[in-house]
Amino acid sequence: MNTVEFIINGKKVSAVRDECIMKIAKENGIHIDGLCYSPDLETAGGSCRLCLVEVHEKGKMRVVTSCNYPVRANIEVKTDTPFIKKLKRSVIELLMARAPESAAIREIAAREGITETRFKHIDANQKMKNCIACGLCAQVCSEVVGVSAISMVNRGFEKTSGTPFKKMSSVCIGCGACAYICPTNAIEMKETKSSRIIWGREFAMQKCSECGVHYIPIAQVTWIVETTGKERKFFDKCPDCR
Amino acid sequence: MSLLRSSQDLIKYREKLSAEVVKDIPSVLVCFGTGCFANGSGGVAENFKEEIKKRGLKVNVNIGMKTTGCHGYCANGPLVVIKPKDILYLKVKPDDVPEIIEKSIVGNETIERLVYKDVNTKEKIAEYHEIPFYKHQKRIALEKIGLVDPASIEDYIISGGYAALAKALTMKPDAIIAEIDKSGLRGRGGGGFPAGRKWRSCVEAPGDVRYVICNGDEGDPGAFMDRSVMEGDPHTVIEGMIIGAIAIGSHKGYIYVRDEYPLAVKNLQRAIDAARASGLLGENILGSGFSFDLKISRGGGAFVCGESSALMRSVGGDIGEPRAKYIRSVEKGLYDKPTVLNNVETWANVPVIIEKGADWYASLGTKGSKGTKVFSLVGKVNNTGLIEVPMGITLRSLIFDIGGGILNNKKFKAVQTGGPSGGCIPESLLDMQVDFDSLSEAGSMMGSGGMIVMDEESCMVDVAKYFTNFLVEESCGKCTPCRDGLPQMLEILTRITEGKGKEGDIELLEDICETLSWGALCGLGSSAPNPVLSTLKHFKHEYEAHIKDKKCPAGVCKTLITYHIDKDKCTGCTLCAKRCPQKCISGEKKQLHVIDESKCIKCGICKDVCKFNAVMID
Repeated sequence: MNTVEFIINGKKVSAVRDECIMKIAKENGIHIDGLCYSPDLETAGGSCRLCLVEVHEKGKMRVVTSCNYPVRANIEVKTDTPFIKKLKRSVIELLMARAPESAAIREIAAREGITETRFKHIDANQKMKNCIACGLCAQVCSEVVGVSAISMVNRGFEKTSGTPFKKMSSVCIGCGACAYICPTNAIEMKETKSSRIIWGREFAMQKCSECGVHYIPIAQVTWIVETTGKERKFFDKCPDCR
Repeated sequence: MSLLRSSQDLIKYREKLSAEVVKDIPSVLVCFGTGCFANGSGGVAENFKEEIKKRGLKVNVNIGMKTTGCHGYCANGPLVVIKPKDILYLKVKPDDVPEIIEKSIVGNETIERLVYKDVNTKEKIAEYHEIPFYKHQKRIALEKIGLVDPASIEDYIISGGYAALAKALTMKPDAIIAEIDKSGLRGRGGGGFPAGRKWRSCVEAPGDVRYVICNGDEGDPGAFMDRSVMEGDPHTVIEGMIIGAIAIGSHKGYIYVRDEYPLAVKNLQRAIDAARASGLLGENILGSGFSFDLKISRGGGAFVCGESSALMRSVGGDIGEPRAKYIRSVEKGLYDKPTVLNNVETWANVPVIIEKGADWYASLGTKGSKGTKVFSLVGKVNNTGLIEVPMGITLRSLIFDIGGGILNNKKFKAVQTGGPSGGCIPESLLDMQVDFDSLSEAGSMMGSGGMIVMDEESCMVDVAKYFTNFLVEESCGKCTPCRDGLPQMLEILTRITEGKGKEGDIELLEDICETLSWGALCGLGSSAPNPVLSTLKHFKHEYEAHIKDKKCPAGVCKTLITYHIDKDKCTGCTLCAKRCPQKCISGEKKQLHVIDESKCIKCGICKDVCKFNAVMID
């Protein structure tokens, strides 16, 4: 393993070359905000821009996203300079204007002492009011679940995620990974006693033979059985009763 | 078409083709570029063919040999050049054909009414190269355009085409890169990155599969440089790409062209097929053992796909979105393989550098910017069109010598360079040299070479609003600063132009600009504030006039202006009253007319139709 040494906020740290700044920062007790980063995914798109940091190298300064900037030897990272704070403030205020109702954004704003945005709310006329088009949902659906039922649609201000042509997806298995990973809770997932509605489609849920809880969409069981070769019987009981 | 199995074959084939060309007979070149074709050059060419047949004259009629842009006068097309005298005729109609044949081909006359007339000196000039528009140009990338038939590989070979490829095949790949490096060629697509250095980084990147890509996704408003090259001389681009492939050891390349360029797609495809059939592309090129093939990838017309990483994703079948380029595409590009991407004009410069040598190329231009640059010169200049000039020419020479000055003798105000994310340069900088570094210093950029000239009647806030609106439409929406920052900027600019600007708006604009410059994900995002930043830098007083005085000094922003009729100039001709769509101009014949401001929609028709310049804007 290729280990490199670099400086972050004045502290000398070591890391595996190419690991992202955010991960190393966290390991060293430095918190960096970020909405579009998930440690469960292999790559980070760097779209929300909340995790901007300064990287100083060979006398030059760059502003980069710490969620996907690969660390190199002898760089100096600064996560809390006045300039970074200023940029971050604008990004937060832009996101606040976009999704005024998002609690997640307000929480980050509050930590920075921001309660109001200088920008006007412009309605993107999208169903998902809190969507910040970070792309995590589409990424998890394709990379982890492997079905690609949703993708990013439209461009510019109207960018959001959705099923093809906004129709009910025939390949969606109702697993809800998109809703769980969404940093702003923009994706609606409704649960009834025996079914789940997501992306406009209702999924029947498998009932646990032991405790009677409806715990997983039958379509998801079928998908797992088909792709992993696991026995269907295994899913008769919920994880708690297995 | 014969299969060429060696460089020797190519030389012999060129000799054979050249011997077949009948010399010393006049030939007619009819421009078949998009602009001239739209203006009816098809009919002109047909008439030439028929008329020549009818007369049994020994005249070559070569149609489709030129693209309009490079000849400058798209608005004056269809263009016809008579060789060998090099007479240029403008606005030729099919009915003019018999007269042209009679007088200028059979006879030895020039037809006065069809030749160029200088708007300033009123002088009539018939000879192509004597026209000021061409006189100050230096053509390298555009050298063959207008002379060779883009549909004919034979024509290209006669003119010396593929000689550079044959030479490159005898060179070591490293020597090719060294030559490009030494020439000082910098990427013509916008960034101006040294091409040789890019190629070398690609070679040094680990991996055994490498790609070369030509970026033909030209999307700037008012730009048509690359289109003209692809349409008018596709083989030069192909030849340049093959040479690049030899240099980096690539066997597969892509030309990414936006599908709104149907003629470019057609001509490129025909050229690729012809090159392959001739043994110049595909397996075992010219018997050298080196193989390389090309494919056209048609783009859907998203501006962002001109950004290299978005383009590569689009070629690969993914959504055209940029990615963070902390790992460069020379290491991980198309399909995560090392990739060299250059734009059309950059590739078109490669063959001539290999053929004539790096020293020759480096002798042109300035210290940091070598060679020439193609610009599409548009806007309020007399001569609009596609031009190629040596780097280092002054803006003044470009606009006033080649462009023939400002339309209708108005006053120059600014020139916008570098496409929508470029900037506006004011009159005080007109004597600045045009090269990569000087343009950046002035707050603009070279971009791919769009150049829009504006006169005193352009409002700079309105101009900034126009480009910002374009960028709002074209932002891919991936990152927050670009997706949400640009609409906010547009919102502020709109309210300023509507007279609702507030104290603090300029500072707020500057703040968003800074966030975009530093915080956006890709190059398009980080350059998107340029239209606002450069107009703020050079024309801040116009912003202030809108915000504080609620006035638009250029008389453009409708809510901030009123029209009135000057009592000393009005003759009472009644024309304005007749044309006013609101019927809000009143007055007796031969009496002063008056505009009812309460009904006026400020359409400006009265001002346009008034022959006495009596309609004034406040």
